[in-house]
Order: sequence, then structure tokens, then C-alpha cells
Amino acid sequence: MSLYARFLKFAQKHSVLPMIMIPVVLVGIGVNVFGSSLLLNVYTYFCVSLIMVLGLQMFMGNSGILNWVHIGFVGVGAYASGILSTAPMVKSMGVPNMFPALVELNMPVIPAIMIGGLVAALLAAIIGYPLMRLSDFVGVITLFATLIVFHVIMTQWDNVTNGPRTFFGVPEFTTLTVALIGALIALVVAYWFRESGLGLRLRASRDDRYAAMSIGIDVVRVRYYGFITSALVAGLAGGVWAHFITSFSPKAFYISEMFILLSMVVIGGSGSISGAFMGTTFVTIGRELLRQVEGTINNAHVLSFEVYGLTEAVMAILMIVILIWRPGGVVGGQELRWPLFKRNKPSVTKEVSDGV
Amino acid sequence: MTMPMLTVENLMASYGVVRALHGVSLEVNEGELVALLGVNGAGKSTTLKSITGILRPVKGSITFLGTEITNRKPEWIVKQGLSLVPEGREIFGSLTVEENLRLGAFASYQRDRYKADLKEIFELFPILEERFSQPGGLLSGGEQQMLAIARAMMAHPKLLMLDEPSLGLSPAMTDGIFVLIKRLREMGSTILLVEQNAERALEIVDRAYLLANGEVDFAGTAEDLKRKVDIASVYFGGDDAAPCEVPL
Repeated sequence: MSLYARFLKFAQKHSVLPMIMIPVVLVGIGVNVFGSSLLLNVYTYFCVSLIMVLGLQMFMGNSGILNWVHIGFVGVGAYASGILSTAPMVKSMGVPNMFPALVELNMPVIPAIMIGGLVAALLAAIIGYPLMRLSDFVGVITLFATLIVFHVIMTQWDNVTNGPRTFFGVPEFTTLTVALIGALIALVVAYWFRESGLGLRLRASRDDRYAAMSIGIDVVRVRYYGFITSALVAGLAGGVWAHFITSFSPKAFYISEMFILLSMVVIGGSGSISGAFMGTTFVTIGRELLRQVEGTINNAHVLSFEVYGLTEAVMAILMIVILIWRPGGVVGGQELRWPLFKRNKPSVTKEVSDGV
Repeated sequence: MTMPMLTVENLMASYGVVRALHGVSLEVNEGELVALLGVNGAGKSTTLKSITGILRPVKGSITFLGTEITNRKPEWIVKQGLSLVPEGREIFGSLTVEENLRLGAFASYQRDRYKADLKEIFELFPILEERFSQPGGLLSGGEQQMLAIARAMMAHPKLLMLDEPSLGLSPAMTDGIFVLIKRLREMGSTILLVEQNAERALEIVDRAYLLANGEVDFAGTAEDLKRKVDIASVYFGGDDAAPCEVPL
């Protein structure tokens, strides 16, 4: 095979990355130059969501385990990064009960985000192993219970998180450019993870646990490593998000937010990063449009009551409809690929006669 | 006399309270093609599952190449060189043929030999080369069975165990699979074959064990078995599958 043909084959095999990254960058530049501040916010939020969703896809999509606790690790990353980088004076004012040692911490934003990711990964490493031994609905319900534990700790530990009250004063850092770069890195990492030996074993264990065991895959261990990697990305995403939103409370890391992330992964198709990307795009657009509709209806007072929650309800119905129509999500389990430009296709008739 | 490659002694296994094996003993020597025959529920697959560690035996011992492998984890047992092609063509349907084969190679860390191995596999199974980048789930039943066997071969097993490779295949495809198994044996592989299709299996194997109700009912060479046991009665006669002299 000539070098050029080999390059073509390689480029075709991995064509999903440029197919996603180039439009993301182009739209990002367009929004940055021409967009209103609202659009700028929406697109930044989209990029941050994309990091979270790709982190979720890395574990959930490849292992097939519905990972409810993902948003909890986002929260851990957000609080860790927020506590590390917020000015001591702001913290002593905003979080009166905080441990003095934590109040004194103060570091630049980038290392704070990094450490936030590591804290989330470390936590996943501590709690993950027993959880990964469970499969199917037993696994799902224990992960869900773990999310509740995370939430209770975040709302009650007011020496660290300010309890149920808002944690504010986090320095602003995440601009559109930062979020965009983060999303691009997350795309490469998630794709690389999926294609790596670990990702491949994880996908094999998703397809058939017993067959995976019978060819020598330690299912619990590959799940465990996948879970930690996913938590690392979640923690980093949490940090990036915290420096975008600047003030938040534990409510942001609970069921309704997790449902949005899940709908993004599931609508697009959890088996591929193309699916995660499409889902994030659809849900973000749908959500913003519905929010406008909701606002317009409420402001115009056409109805005798206000239609709060329209967005969530319609998104949920949309998810049901799409899953009936395409159970594997819009994209399905295979990555998008640039159409083949093959010259000598093997003849179909020969294949059929051989296959019998 | 050299030691057998695989020795199973007095193996007992159960599913919950239901005892499936009541003390099965068998041996496989290097280079042999041995069959494990019997009707549904005789304990054939249970025996294989116990050997590979997917099912924990209640009692008994399994020795492979002089090492006790009873109660070890399946992934450890595979690394000792013992590969199972599970019943029902358990390939990874959403992964491509290429990924399926790559997974087989992972088990034994033979990645430097991957390319050369692929070439060998393609010689044995040309269809897999054509289907290389398609998802395994899109392959026909026979092709999936070939993929499952190829995947196990990628790990260079010292002992290959096949669980009902002809199950659910067309007669023509079944012929193909049996020819292939014979060829693998001629190439020097040691194979433990589980089959319901006893008549076909006895044509190609060296020795066979006949299981009935979780016990070894008869053991011997293929010739012995053909001569001394009325195969038809095993499948149609239920319990009285006792060995009987067939008048010559």
C-alpha cells in the first residue's frame, strides 16, 4: 500500500474528529465575532456541557452502566476548584463556617481546576471498586444512591460547601475560548479513550459480560479504571463550569441537571462520541428555544396560569419519542465517518455465494 | 507416561441448589482432539464453565499443565493458555471484526505478533478479511462462529475449548466447521470439543467422553464408543443410556 493510500485509510478511519472539531471551532469563531452576549453565553455553556457529556460517555457509553453519580463528580470538581482559587476574604465573608485551613488556600485558576479534577478522580478511586462489581439495575440503583449521598454531604457540610446556601465569589475565568479549547481536548481524549485498549475491553464487557470474561478481560477492573477516568473529566468540567458561572449551590449537582446530561448522551447515542456531540447539540438548541417560548408565553399572559417547567417536560417527551424511534440514539453505536472513496469494491455477488 | 495437559478430577458443580455435575473426571493430552458428548442438560457446558472459572465448582480439582486452576479467576485462567469459544457464538456484536480479533490478541499480550497472526487467520477464514471493518453483529451465523473461533485462536491457546460450535448452523456450514476443527488439530492444536451432534463429532475426534446426568457414562476412543455404545439410544432412550454390546 502506498504512503498516500495509507494516509487516506488512516484519515478515513479517524475522520469523526475533524468532522466534529472543525464545525465547533468555526461556529465558535462566528459567535465570538458576531454573536450577542446571550449567544456567547449559550455557546460557552454548550462547550462546557460537551466536556461533561463526553466524560459521561467515556464511562457510561463504553461500559453500558447508567452512571447517575457523574454530576456528583462535576460538583466535587466545582467545589474543589472554587475553594482553591477564591480569594480568602471573599470566602471568609461568604462561607462563615469554613475550616480556617481551607479559607487560607489561594491559587491561580488553572492549577485549581486541575486539582479539582484530581480530587474527583481520587474520590472515584476510593468509592468505585465495590460499585463496579454490580451490573444491570442493581448497579444503576447503587450509583443513584451514591448520588444522593453526594448531595446530602454537599448540602450538609457547611464547613466546606456553605451547605445548601450559594457558594459565591469564584473568580471568572472561563471565556468562550477557554471552554472551546476544553471541549476540543475532551473530544480528543474521549475518542482516544474509546479506541484505546481499555476502551475496547470496556465496550466488549458492555456487549457481553461473560464472553468478555471468557477471553480474559477482568470486567470489574476495566470498569473501575473507566470510572476513574470519567470522574477525572467530570471534575475538570466542574472546575471549568464553576469559573464560568461563579456562584452555585448543591442544587446544580443533582437529579434535574443529571437528567439533562443523560438526555444529551441518550438522545444522541451513548455508544459513540459522535452521538454525545449530536445529543449535546440537539438538547442545547431545544432547551434554549423552549426557554424562549416559555418566557414569551408567560410574559404575554395569554394563559391564565404560568407555564413553568415546559422546557423539562418537552425535553422528556422528546427523549421518549426518540428512543422509541431509535433505541440506540440518533447516531447509534458506530462513529460517524466520512464516506468511503473506495475504487475497487469487492463484488457483492461473490460475497453472497461465499457466505452461504 | 507424560502428564496430561488438562486433568479434571471428581468435579462437582451446582447452580444454586440444583446439582449439575456429580463428580466428572476427564483428561486431555497434548495434541489430542477430545469430545465431550451428551444430551441437553448432561453437564457438558457446565463442565467447560467450571474449567474456565466462570462457574465455581463445589468440589473437585482441575489441573492444567501441572498447575491447579480450580477457583481461579477466568481472566487468570485464560492467561495460562486455556481459551473457550462459548456456546451460542458470543462475539461482540457492536464491535468490528477487527476489534473482536484485537481483543483476542490482548489476552496473551502477543501484540507484536498481531499482524502475522492476522495473516494466518485470514488464510483459515478468508471471509473475515472481507468483513474486517464491519460490526460483528452484521455477520451471518456461520461467519460469527468463525469469528469466535478466530478470536480464541488469536490468543495462541495451548488448549482450545469449543462449546457446541455447530449449534444453529446450516448443514453446509456445520460441515465447514468440522473440516476446520479437523484442520486445526492437524496443525497441532489441542482441542476439547463439546457437541450434541455425536455422530459427526466421532468422525473427527481421537477420544470421547459420554456424559449423562452429570456423570461420565462412558470414556474411550472414538472407535470404542462407536462400537460399544448405541448412540441413538443415548439421545432417544433417556436414562437407560447404559453401554450395550451391539451385535456385530
